[in-house]
Amino acid sequence: MEPFVVPARLESLQEIRKHVQTAAAEAGLDKKDVYRLALAVDEVATNIVTHGYAEAGREGTVGVTIGTDQDHLTVALEDSGVAFDPTGIPKPDIEQPIDERKVGGMGIYLAIRGVDGFKYQRVGSTNRNIFIMNRKPPSPEGS
Amino acid sequence: MAFEISFEMLDKGIAKITLAGELDASTAPQFQKEVEKAAQQKARRLVLVVGALEYIASAGLRVLVFAKQKMGSAVDVYVVGAQEQVMETIRKTGLHNSVTTLKAYDAAVIEAL
Repeated sequence: MEPFVVPARLESLQEIRKHVQTAAAEAGLDKKDVYRLALAVDEVATNIVTHGYAEAGREGTVGVTIGTDQDHLTVALEDSGVAFDPTGIPKPDIEQPIDERKVGGMGIYLAIRGVDGFKYQRVGSTNRNIFIMNRKPPSPEGS
Repeated sequence: MAFEISFEMLDKGIAKITLAGELDASTAPQFQKEVEKAAQQKARRLVLVVGALEYIASAGLRVLVFAKQKMGSAVDVYVVGAQEQVMETIRKTGLHNSVTTLKAYDAAVIEAL
């Protein structure tokens, strides 16, 4: 499937979400899984835009490639911003009252917890973030 | 749906912010601006009406955290009418322990200080 490529800007985030939501719904994911997947992709895409490019004074693109097999839907985000591995970020202290919370970490926490599988790969000068959702089997006929 | 936000100061220092559409990193700055208005007006309570808010990303949650930290622990925050997935996100991050969530706008509760 052709990657969907957009400029790495905040304005692209909604477009990325819509693209993922459409594919996820077509693959038969339920409403909650569609939402969680779109949120996960959005959170990582946001980090790519803000940390991977903008803060580093760089511009670039984000490529979104979606694939399905019988059991899974996979979304791969690719960018050539600063190397960033989301799996290395510590979990925020969600027990801590809001007044005392350090800002940060919630996005990646929501992303990784919202999908069935998550992988980060650094390939040359490209970051690849891979999100995997299980497709539930269709209910048997007659039930 | 496109993001929409409005601000209203009710009696007794209650700030009401109504959000609709999608709250992500691109629209969160608008939410931030309205929270700052509430802080400037020394609001004693912040009421977020979110029945038409279809999506919230961590950028939106961060503004909520900012609101509580900026306005001080004496200011309570109400989140009214959150949709199921929005509520799930608030719970997953533990923020439901720091705000009061209501299913519907009950003026008797919300506007009583």
